[in-house]
Amino acid sequence: MAELSVTELSKDIRDAIAQLDVAGDLETVGVVTRVGDGVAWVHGLRSAGYSEVLLIETKNGVAEAFALNLNEDEIGAVLLGGEEDVVAGAKVTLKGTVLDVPVGPELLGRVVDPLGNALDGGAPIKTKQRGLVEREAIGVLGRKHVHEPMMTGIMSIDAMFPIGRGQRELIIGDRQTGKTAIAIDTMINQGRQKTGVINVYVAIGQKLSKIARLVDRLKEEGVMDQTIIVATSPSDPASLLYLAPYAATAMGEYFRDNKQHALMIYDDLTKHAVAYRQMSLLLRRPPGREAFPGDVFYLHSRLLERSAKLSDDLGAGSLTALPIIETQAGDISAYIPTNVISITDGQIFLETDLFNQGIRPAISAGLSVSRVGGDAQTKSVKSVGSHLKLGLSQFRELASFAQFGSDLDEATKSQIEKGQRLTELLKQHQYTPASVWEQTASIYAVNSGSFDKVPVSKIKDAQTALLTRLWTDHKKDMQELTKGDVKITDEEPVAKLIKKAAESVAKGFEE
Amino acid sequence: MSIRISRRKIAAYYADELLAGRDITRQLAAYLAESRRIREADLIIRDIETALADRGVLVADVASSRELSSASKSAIESYLKQATNATKVQLRESVDRTLLGGVRIATAGRELDATVRHRINQLKASKV
Repeated sequence: MAELSVTELSKDIRDAIAQLDVAGDLETVGVVTRVGDGVAWVHGLRSAGYSEVLLIETKNGVAEAFALNLNEDEIGAVLLGGEEDVVAGAKVTLKGTVLDVPVGPELLGRVVDPLGNALDGGAPIKTKQRGLVEREAIGVLGRKHVHEPMMTGIMSIDAMFPIGRGQRELIIGDRQTGKTAIAIDTMINQGRQKTGVINVYVAIGQKLSKIARLVDRLKEEGVMDQTIIVATSPSDPASLLYLAPYAATAMGEYFRDNKQHALMIYDDLTKHAVAYRQMSLLLRRPPGREAFPGDVFYLHSRLLERSAKLSDDLGAGSLTALPIIETQAGDISAYIPTNVISITDGQIFLETDLFNQGIRPAISAGLSVSRVGGDAQTKSVKSVGSHLKLGLSQFRELASFAQFGSDLDEATKSQIEKGQRLTELLKQHQYTPASVWEQTASIYAVNSGSFDKVPVSKIKDAQTALLTRLWTDHKKDMQELTKGDVKITDEEPVAKLIKKAAESVAKGFEE
Repeated sequence: MSIRISRRKIAAYYADELLAGRDITRQLAAYLAESRRIREADLIIRDIETALADRGVLVADVASSRELSSASKSAIESYLKQATNATKVQLRESVDRTLLGGVRIATAGRELDATVRHRINQLKASKV
């Protein structure tokens, strides 16, 4: 007989018995009266608090739920997992805490669910700290105005609608217009430019294949090490979809509060609102417009208000948010889009028409805006891109008129040509974020008229040639320019240098 | 159709009447039948127990693996009086061999599980 193992086993058991709680006190308990559609109705537990975690005894262990409806006679609680094991009559106790998730640097490079469980097949996540899923936003005194750039690497955004650290900038557009692409490029740019910004990508009800592809891409680009992905799939319960952005924000807040900078990407809040609508309807809350509950505005406003630039006293960290909203047929005046537009500090509107014309990223110059970014824009990009937005909007208007006739005066013609060149210049392939010097030099070359004789179709080639030449011949100057603190005027030596290079490059492309 | 009266209010009214010495069980049953709320009878009984407990009258289900001695019963009663500030405690006893040992006391909305079976289950859960 293996006597040794029996002794060891009995020692184990003895230890475990020693650690058992000696029968505690009278414990508050409730009972499940009904369960279905991910919602459990509980009788009793009169001392339960809002959003408190309930533990439901099942035959396979304990199921967790959180109390969202506290009625006179019963509690409506949303289950955090499957409802298969939960039966009517099951005993319910209070956990005594609200929901929290693991937070900290241990999460970097991981794919987790909204409760902080690993989804990437790696080791279970153990962190030193936990953060509250629902947390109040920082107050006025804890904040500072947004003044540092959060470079996206996308020329049209950085030049026309600059985003600052701590800003909330909405990315809005129809399906298949490149919303996620902008967000991913921004994440990749943080790695390329070595900004040290932590990316937190929240997939709300996204196809798991899409998430797998994203993870592969981020690994390939070498930015996964500074990225956390919080993933929920369409097959997850609505409760997890609802929690995902809050849980992820808690993870991002850790970096914000520890003097670092984090970037939140919520992909997308339309699905989040839909998940919340499902929960609310099942909890029998009265439906309002488009069947959304009355507090659907608060749902997003309290989430996005947690993004902030902290004051110096609090360490000057920041949490930037790029929420994504999907519109139907370009209708930005629907319920959820107008809500989120009014909450955020600006929006980047992507248009299907532009996308189909091959103008990618398909950013609409007229409808996009950044309400606080001016202060946060890199000085050199600001100095070359200040008239870009107006020029481009005017060009799009003129271009639509110009389609009807060819009798145009010289001024209009030149404006249209310039607009075409700029449009062509601002086209950018996916996964190729541009650094500050690349953006500055390209825009300056077109603005200064150096490329005026280059045919529109060859602008992109000329731009590539210019950037290659500048990097080979004037690497030092360009590295200096990337710091971004030089205001580019025609008298500036670096401007003369760019102009000279551009003019000589342009000669090779003239027809 | 009259306004639906919450279970909590019904239970409070019933408890007050009961403590004043009037038994309105038949009226309550008639009301539930008329308002088609017979299904809620179980829950209303639980609510009435809670309402009575709030008024100092505690009904407790005591389950044990064998018959309790009168000494343990009075110990349980005095424990309950002290733990819930009840003035009157009424025990409903039952014997359940599967509990293996110890007692389980269940009152309105509260429970104390000090059975051997519960501890074994806890042990199982912590070892898994």
